[in-house]
Amino acid sequence: MHEGLWIIAAPEVILAAGGVLLLLVESVVKLQSRAVGVLVLGVHLIAGLCLLPFARTGAVLWDGIYTWDRFAVSGKAFFLLVGMLVTYLSLEGEQKIPTARAEFYILPLFCTAGMALLCSVRDFVLLFVALELVTVTLFVLVAYRRTDASSLEAGAKYLIVGGLATAFLVMGIAYLFGATGSTQFDGVARSAESEGVGPVLLLGLAFLLVGLGFKAAAVPFHIWAPDVYQGAPTPITAYLSVGSKAAGFVVLLRVLLLPFWNSAFQSHWVPLIGLLGALSVLLGNLAALPQRNLKRLLGYSSISHAGFLLLGLASHSFLGFASMLYYLLAYLVATFTAFLVLVLLEQEKAGETISDLSGLAQRSPLLAWSMALAMVSLAGIPPLMGFFGKLLVFFAAWQSGLHLLVMIGVAAAAAGIYYYIAVVRAMFWSEPVQHGPIALHPATRTLLVALNVGSILFGFYAKPILALAAGAVAGIGG
Amino acid sequence: MSPLTILLLVEAAAIGLILLGASPKKVSLVAAGTNFLLSLWIYAQFPAGVGGYHFVENHSWIALGGLPEIRYHVGVDGISLPLVLLTTLVTLAAIWVAPAKIKRASEFYSYLLLLSLGALGAFVSLDLFFFYAFHEFALIPTFLLIGIWGAENRQFVSLQLTLYLGLGSLVLLAGIIALLGVVPAEERTFDIPRLTDYLRENPLATSQQMLPFLLLAIGFGTLVSLFPFHSWAPFGYASAPASAAMLHAGVLKKFGLYGLLRVAMPLLPGGAEAWKPWILALLLGNILFIGLTTIAQKELPAMLGFSSVMHMGYLFLGLACWNALGVSGVVLLMVAHGLSAALLFAVAGEVRERAGEIRFAELGGLARRMPFVAVAFLVGSFASVGVPGLANFPGELLIFFGSWKSQPLLTAVVVWGIVISAVYQLRAVRAVFYGDLPQHLAETGDVEGVARIPYVLLMAALLILGIWPGTLLGVVGSGVKGFLSLN
Repeated sequence: MHEGLWIIAAPEVILAAGGVLLLLVESVVKLQSRAVGVLVLGVHLIAGLCLLPFARTGAVLWDGIYTWDRFAVSGKAFFLLVGMLVTYLSLEGEQKIPTARAEFYILPLFCTAGMALLCSVRDFVLLFVALELVTVTLFVLVAYRRTDASSLEAGAKYLIVGGLATAFLVMGIAYLFGATGSTQFDGVARSAESEGVGPVLLLGLAFLLVGLGFKAAAVPFHIWAPDVYQGAPTPITAYLSVGSKAAGFVVLLRVLLLPFWNSAFQSHWVPLIGLLGALSVLLGNLAALPQRNLKRLLGYSSISHAGFLLLGLASHSFLGFASMLYYLLAYLVATFTAFLVLVLLEQEKAGETISDLSGLAQRSPLLAWSMALAMVSLAGIPPLMGFFGKLLVFFAAWQSGLHLLVMIGVAAAAAGIYYYIAVVRAMFWSEPVQHGPIALHPATRTLLVALNVGSILFGFYAKPILALAAGAVAGIGG
Repeated sequence: MSPLTILLLVEAAAIGLILLGASPKKVSLVAAGTNFLLSLWIYAQFPAGVGGYHFVENHSWIALGGLPEIRYHVGVDGISLPLVLLTTLVTLAAIWVAPAKIKRASEFYSYLLLLSLGALGAFVSLDLFFFYAFHEFALIPTFLLIGIWGAENRQFVSLQLTLYLGLGSLVLLAGIIALLGVVPAEERTFDIPRLTDYLRENPLATSQQMLPFLLLAIGFGTLVSLFPFHSWAPFGYASAPASAAMLHAGVLKKFGLYGLLRVAMPLLPGGAEAWKPWILALLLGNILFIGLTTIAQKELPAMLGFSSVMHMGYLFLGLACWNALGVSGVVLLMVAHGLSAALLFAVAGEVRERAGEIRFAELGGLARRMPFVAVAFLVGSFASVGVPGLANFPGELLIFFGSWKSQPLLTAVVVWGIVISAVYQLRAVRAVFYGDLPQHLAETGDVEGVARIPYVLLMAALLILGIWPGTLLGVVGSGVKGFLSLN
């Protein structure tokens, strides 16, 4: 791999620089917050355009700590999409966040920059910096509704648990450095190859998994998720639910594939990841059953999806990793659809419980159908993306001999049908609490239709997405 | 393009038109009628003497390293063609008997079409992925149909049904994955014919077949209400709107049997043999236990729901004994049961609609007010009991002949099931249509004019297959010989 020009890091630079610039301008000139939101969308778009010219090049930067491969490109595109969707959600949900000012739109830029950087890391120190850029920004955003007690509570919880996870992460990196004398992925791998896998290295790996498990909201590092999901402003909940989780998995994939791909390591992390996966699907799905608050329900559901993603990871096969990436995209589409509907309903002054969705089908068929498709996709029913994702993950896990894990996954998925269907039931069967149709902006309408069509189309015809996912996984090594 | 694909596209197009605002009942009727005629044409063109699949369409769908290739592969043989015909006929009847002025009509008819689309897709798919996905995809319309338009206790019932079927489908998915898991990696494929050929030449060790077969049997068994996984069915059907019950009990439920016939039994014969005692014991539960439960029912739809669970016992018997005679009987009885169940549920819907009453104790003498409906119910009941001259009789007879060879004792016991079904079915006939006409039913009207056509179609099909089962058995035989290599 040759040393490239620094210009290939343009997406991260543009995102971060755009953020700084907008903050500075905003402190001098009073900008309307909505205008800032639109500008932020523009910054994302420019950063996205910067991916295109170099999409096919492979290179490393800065002595190999930053890499540019197909995995990195796909990952950056994914997170830019997340960032744009979150911005759009914020624009839609502005009225509900009374103190919303320009920085509510600007801060996510740093978060997205961190996530984009994470896709390219080949060094533990850079990994730490990128991850902290994400986490610290989210600390602020989670507690953004500072007049609201639940938002503050969420912020405090996220801060404390997040701080703990960071401590583990740093400690893990320190152990790895101590054992191998290198913070680069290649260095760790080489050292493990030549000197064998000792207890210190394994301890480092374990601490690393704790830190990343927090990001992914996998059991037993999930405790923060339901409260924080419920308390945070809804667009930020969506960000946590998709962006933060995906960041955890993207890093896990790269870390496990590069420095820890050694079979001596594998024999340790495969059962461990499998165990976390089993616990996550079970706890997530079972704890979601009695939930009545939708954001909380989605919080538990996101824990269970972390479990299914871990199943793909535990398969430690090409198919398993590709399925995991496909699953992530399926999860993005369904989750953002659900949160977009929630944000729109918040404008109607409806509450956040399932019964507040009552009779939505009569008031707005598009919203009801979007939500229903999102739920059905998360439940894993064909022909939606969520179904194909589950099929792939189960298949990969079974092929790798994780039979018991697949059985647990199947049982948990069956339990999941109950609470997802309960949401559909409220929307389609019950009589409306409020009356009158819900007006939607044409752009929102288009976005909802696009998300629905994507969910059906790429579930039924998964080929293009799978090709992308397979290409990304194949790109990691090179 | 295969005419089978056209069948699917017609229904999809009809749903599209309804969503665009076309008159739901008219569009659905036209689509269902077109499909029925098209499937008759397919039947007429089907070369019965030649085994194997016809009207095949086969191209690659998804190929990914590590995952067996998924192909869009459709085709029919002598086993699936009768089911396709059943589906299109029952779909036409179900849509025809549905009230045009129902609330949220465009949704209602879209869901009916989706249900039918799921069943059709599953029956014509020769790829395990599509086979599974088409069926499970019908789960949501079923849930909504019962939940929104269902009768008493619809909330609980539809949730229960969905959970049961969802769990069954997931176990089935695990079974399919487990089945592919025991095939050597380079031979793994979702393609049913290729998998069948491979496993016929290279049978798996029985110990390898045990787990996949168990999962498949529980999965398919739940979907087709094998005792004790049946409790979703009776009240689900009792509560469902008539058209949904017709389509589900008549058609979609056959997917479980078809799956056992097409996938579980031929691919895993060793597993089937090993688990056979269990299946035989459970089917006794279907026939005797559920049969007696059916007698105890006090409402017409619930009685029909239980009786449709009971009749699955005979079909399991034919499958478990696995010989050419019994399996031919199974295919014939699947069709016959589909037709008779659809007819009976349609009548129950008319009674509920017109008399406003479903309790046996409050009904009676309706033959005077609605003679046509009474005739339809009588024909359905006779068919269901297994009276000669109607389609169920030759099916049951073949199954009993087939099972007699290997299981004479069991056969002798389950034949008594016919007496049980005669008891509940004829009691229902008497309670609803004969005896004194209660005052509050004096104004009940009959089905008139073109609305009689769907009933006539179903009755005619039952009669034709009853008097002349050879028409269908020729086709079925080619499938049984060709696909299963049974003699």
